[in-house]
Amino acid sequence: MSADVELSDVSVTFGSFYAAKNVNVKVNGGEFFSFLGPSGCGKTTLLRAISGFQEPSEGKVLIDNKDMSGIGPNKRPTALIFQNLALFPLMSVSENIAFSLEVRGVSKEERKKRADELLELIALEGQGDKKVHQLSGGQKQRVAIARALAVEPKVLLLDEPLSALDLKLRQRMRTELREIQKRVNITFIYITHDQGEALTMSDRIAVMNEGELEQIGKCDEVYNNPLTPFVATFVGENNPLYGKVTGIEGDKAKIETADGQYLATMNESKKLNIGDESIAFVRPESLFIPRDGDNFDNKINVNIESFEFEGNLKNFYASLKSGAKIKFSVPNAIDTSFITSGSSIVLGFESSKSVILPKASLAID
Amino acid sequence: MMGIYIFIFFAYLFGPLIIMSITAFNSAEFPSITPWECFSFRWFNEGKIAYDGQHLAGLLSDWRLHDGIISSLIIGAGVVTLSVPIGMAAAIVLTQVRSQLRDIYYSISIMPVLFPGVIIGISTVVLWDRIAGLGGEGFIADIGRNGIFLTILAQTCFISTYCFLIFVARLQRFDQTQEEAALDLGASQTQVFFKILVPYLSPAIASAAVIAFLFSFENYNTTVFSILSDQTLTTVIASKVRLGISPALSALALTIIALTIIAAVTYEVLRRRTEKRYAESQEKFVKEKAADNRINKKYKAGFKIPKGITAILLIVVFATYGATQIVKNDLYGQSCIDAADKEKKSKFLEQLQTLESNELTDEELSGGSLGGNQDYGDIFGDPSLFQDFGGFD
Ligand SMILES: Nc1ncnc2c1ncn2[C@@H]1O[C@H](COP(=O)(O)OP(=O)(O)OP(=O)(O)O)[C@@H](O)[C@H]1O
Ligand SMILES: [Mg+2]
Repeated sequence: MSADVELSDVSVTFGSFYAAKNVNVKVNGGEFFSFLGPSGCGKTTLLRAISGFQEPSEGKVLIDNKDMSGIGPNKRPTALIFQNLALFPLMSVSENIAFSLEVRGVSKEERKKRADELLELIALEGQGDKKVHQLSGGQKQRVAIARALAVEPKVLLLDEPLSALDLKLRQRMRTELREIQKRVNITFIYITHDQGEALTMSDRIAVMNEGELEQIGKCDEVYNNPLTPFVATFVGENNPLYGKVTGIEGDKAKIETADGQYLATMNESKKLNIGDESIAFVRPESLFIPRDGDNFDNKINVNIESFEFEGNLKNFYASLKSGAKIKFSVPNAIDTSFITSGSSIVLGFESSKSVILPKASLAID
Repeated sequence: MMGIYIFIFFAYLFGPLIIMSITAFNSAEFPSITPWECFSFRWFNEGKIAYDGQHLAGLLSDWRLHDGIISSLIIGAGVVTLSVPIGMAAAIVLTQVRSQLRDIYYSISIMPVLFPGVIIGISTVVLWDRIAGLGGEGFIADIGRNGIFLTILAQTCFISTYCFLIFVARLQRFDQTQEEAALDLGASQTQVFFKILVPYLSPAIASAAVIAFLFSFENYNTTVFSILSDQTLTTVIASKVRLGISPALSALALTIIALTIIAAVTYEVLRRRTEKRYAESQEKFVKEKAADNRINKKYKAGFKIPKGITAILLIVVFATYGATQIVKNDLYGQSCIDAADKEKKSKFLEQLQTLESNELTDEELSGGSLGGNQDYGDIFGDPSLFQDFGGFD
C-alpha cells in the first residue's frame, strides 16, 4: 500500500527564519521522489514536517488527501530513516527491526517471524542476534531500512541515509534501495545533497535552494531543461557564459558576451527580451573539439590551462579571452594527445544543447 | 619511575586505612601498632572488661553500634528510593528546557550541594516541628518528630542533586533522535521512556543508587541534627570518639572495607563472566557466518594476568612478615592476653598504692592551690566506681 503525499503551501519558520518557504509539491503513490539541495537548504525540515516532528507554521501536509495537522509522528502512516540512522544501540538487530511490532503488542513469535522475513529482504539472514555496533556501515543502513519497513508504512522517508558510506558501497546501496522500493512498492521520499544519487534513483526530483523549491520534474527534464541558474549549476556541471540578449529567433536567443556571440535555447516559461542580462549554460560533455565536416552553431576559442584524468573521462580546464573559465570533458577513448597545456583550440557546441536563462545566482558562488 | 609515583600515591591513599586495619587486631585498649600487645580478635567479638572496670565493647557486643547501623541502613534505603527518581526526573526536565531558562534551572537544581549540610539538617527539623505542631496528635505529629523520617528527607535534599548530576552527565551523551525514531515507529511517550530512555540510563541509575547510599551512610553533619533522639552509625561513632577511640572502631572500619572489597570483586567477576560468555557466543557466531579466509586461525582467547597482581603480592609479603614476627615473639593467643592483663593490673595496683600512701589532708585538698583537685579528692572513696571490676587476684 502506498499513499500520495501533498505539501500545500508549506512554510516552516524558526523565529523569523524561513527554513522552508511556500513549498508546493505532490508526490504520487508508489513514486521514488527525491528532494535535492545543498546543505542547510531545509530538506530535513521538510521531511520532519511530513513525518510529524515539525508542525508547519503555514500550509498543510496531506497524506492520501487527509490533512495531517495535529496528528503525531506515531500516528502517521510514515516511517522516517534518520540522517544518523538512530538505531537503538542497546538492542540486537532483530529487536531493532521488531521494535515497532513490540510497541504494538505483537506476540513474540510473530515478531521473530516478521524480523526474519525482513532480515531476508535486506540480505542479512541469521544476523539478527548481533548488536548494532557489530555491523558495518552498509549493514546498519539496511537494518534501519528494515526497521522502518516493519511498520508497513505507506510512505518511507529517507534523510540522506547513504551520506556516511563510502563511494562503492553508496553505489551498491542505491541499486539496493531502488530494488527494495520496487519490491515493497510504497512511496519513497528521499533526501540528498548528492545530485548523482538523486538522478540515478528517483522517478522525479525537486531541487531546493534556501528553503524554496526551484524546480520539480523528471530527472532528465531537470538535467536538460533547468529552470534557474541555480538548478543548472547544482544538478550536474555547467559552464556559465554571461552576457546580454541581442536577438531572438523562435525559441532561440542570441547572447552577446565578452568573448563573442552564442545561440542558445530559451525555456518556454522563461522567455527573454532583447537587452536582458542573461546566462547561457553549456555542459562540459556538450563541448566538442570539431573534426573535419563538423558544423556547430557556436564556436568558442579557448586556451588550455590544465587537465585531469577521471577514468572514463578526461577533464580539461581552459580560459577564455576575457579570463572566464570553462571546463570540458572528452571520453577517454578519444585521442587527445595533441592538446597540451598552453595550446589554443576551438571548441564547438549546438544551440539545442545550451540553455539561456535570466541572470541569477549560481549554485557555486 | 612511574611505578614509584603510583606506589607513593597509593601509600598516601591507603596507608591510613591499612594501619587502622592492623590496629583492630591488637589487643591493647587504644588503637596502636607499637607497642604491640597481643594478636587477638577480641575487638571483633566481646571486647574486654578493662582492669579499671570499664567495659570496652567489641564490635559484636556493642548494641548501640548495631542500632546505629540498622538506622543507617534504613535511612540509606529511603534516600536511594527518593533521590534516584527525583534526580532522574530533574535531569530529564533539563533536557527538555531550552533557552535561557535552562541555566537558571540548572543553577537552582544544584544549589542544595552548595548549602552547608548543617543548615539543611536544622531547617528540616524546624520545618517539620512546625508541621507536627499544627496537626495536634496523630500521624503527622508522629512522623514530623521521627528522626529517621526527617533524616531521609534532609539527606535526600542534597543527595538527589548528586544523582541529578550523574543523570545529566549521561543524558548529555544521549542521542535524542533515538526517541524520535521510537516515536516514529509508533511508540507512545510512556513506551519511549521505558524502552529507550530507562535502558539507556540504567548504568546511571545503578551508580546514582550506589552513590546515594554511600553519601547517606557516611553523612554526619546533616544527620546529627535531623536524627533527633535516634542514632545512626556516624552519630554513634562520633559520640564514642568523644570518650576516646576504641579498637572496636578499627574493627568496624576493617569490616566495612572488607565488605566493600568483596562486593567490588564479586561485581567485577560477574561482569567479566558475562562479558566472556558474550565474547564466546560472538566468536562462535563469527565462525559460523564468516567466510573461511576471514577467520584468524591463530586467534585464541588467552588468559591475562591482572595488572593489580604486584599490589596484591606486596600486601601478602608484608602480611607474612608481620605474622612471622607475631608468632616468633609469641604475641598471640589467650596466654599472651592474660599475661598482658596481669602486668597492667599489677602496674595499676602499684599506682593505686602509691596514691594511697601519700594521703592528703582535707586542708590541702580544699586549699585551692592545686586547682580543680578537690573534685577528685574522694575518687577512691566512691564505692560505685569499681563495682564492675572483678577485683585483684
Ligand atoms: N530547530 C531549529 N531551530 C532553528 N533553526 C533550525 C532548526 N532546525 C534547522 N534549522 C535551520 O534551518 C535550516 C535548514 O535546516 P535543515 O536541517 O532542514 O537542513 P538540510 O537541508 O537538511 O541540511 P543538511 O543537508 O546539512 O542536512 C538551516 O539553516 C538550519 O540552521
Ligand atoms: Mg538534513
